[in-house]
Amino acid sequence: MHSWNTTAPIYQQLADRLAVQLLDGSPPEGEALPSVRQLAGQYLINPLTVSRALQALVDHGLVESRRGMGMYVTSGARTRLRNTERENFLEKEWPTLRAKLARLGIGAADLNWETPQ
Amino acid sequence: MNLIEAKNLSLSYGRKTAVDGVSFNIPKGRVVGLLGHNGAGKTSLMKALVGLMSASQGEVSVLGLSPVSQRGELLEQLCYIPDVAVLPRWAKAHELITLMSGLQPRFSAERARQLLKRTSVGLNDKVKSLSKGMVVQLHLALIAAIDAKLMILDEPTLGLDVMSRKGFYELLLDEWCDGERSVLISTHQVEEVESLLSDVLMLDEGKLVLNISLEDIDSRFHALSHDAAAAEAVASAHPLLRYRQTGGRTAAIFDGAPPENVAALGERIRPSLVDLFMALTRKPALAPTQA
Repeated sequence: MHSWNTTAPIYQQLADRLAVQLLDGSPPEGEALPSVRQLAGQYLINPLTVSRALQALVDHGLVESRRGMGMYVTSGARTRLRNTERENFLEKEWPTLRAKLARLGIGAADLNWETPQ
Repeated sequence: MNLIEAKNLSLSYGRKTAVDGVSFNIPKGRVVGLLGHNGAGKTSLMKALVGLMSASQGEVSVLGLSPVSQRGELLEQLCYIPDVAVLPRWAKAHELITLMSGLQPRFSAERARQLLKRTSVGLNDKVKSLSKGMVVQLHLALIAAIDAKLMILDEPTLGLDVMSRKGFYELLLDEWCDGERSVLISTHQVEEVESLLSDVLMLDEGKLVLNISLEDIDSRFHALSHDAAAAEAVASAHPLLRYRQTGGRTAAIFDGAPPENVAALGERIRPSLVDLFMALTRKPALAPTQA
């Protein structure tokens, strides 16, 4: 079964998971998200909680509700998401990482910069 | 309209009170978990909802009917799996479908066959040849094929392995929960059902100690994860429960926000339903002495 940690409410964790998938292009912009019922069955989450997660994505402008048809990925969602994630990394994660690198004496030349295919 | 309404409901066996003045409503489209230790009154409450036990005090109505005086009418519109449920061992799945068609006017044989396709139970399988998990899935498929608004399940996954429990919950969420119908499900497996639920009813020694939606749990209860150094200060703010988190840090649950100076000693985390269950239903004798 899926495990949900105690860092944030479950709906928030589902919204984060769906956002990571959107960033990877799944589903692509303009395409429909799986229905509330499908997501509920897939993640074993109450449909009301799924709806809250989708609402959080709507509030961030990543998906939009089309009457009677479900949720669709908005155009520009990936770019917006990428920008937010970049800001997040640069402001929050990077300082911690930089401090750790400094502590371990690791410089840019010690790191492998090739992107795995 | 509420599917279930209980007002100050008490149930007793002779002089022993099993359920003590509980009031709650269950509207449509909900998945309500009924949680409590053994002997907390879960099964008695469920029995009263299906007319197997009369109230010693207070009132209860289910689908607008009185469970005791209008039991026949109620049972036509209700799905119920009691904790002692058994299916006849000699029967084949398709024979049970025929039996149900004769017994239950709202039962759809077509729907039952469709639901069974999702499980590993074949129409010609005999109950005695099935594993425990498969029997429970067969039972759920039979019950979910009734055109009803309310399902009551008493410890349905007791004794099942993890794969069978997962299969059971999947079937329940996919095939039953449609935003209109509701389920009341009692269980000990609090961690597992947490994400399935929309609401929680928590019983402790017959009393309803919590009646809340999962959404409101997030805002009402605050859990604070903190270092050992802050333990004394946190304890002085009278949390409901202090517990050790996986990873060794300590956390404390508060009903409502703790004072700001205390909140600043740690970080707010999500109180899991298990932690909340421990906080609200522990017997006083087992509680550690207050620091």
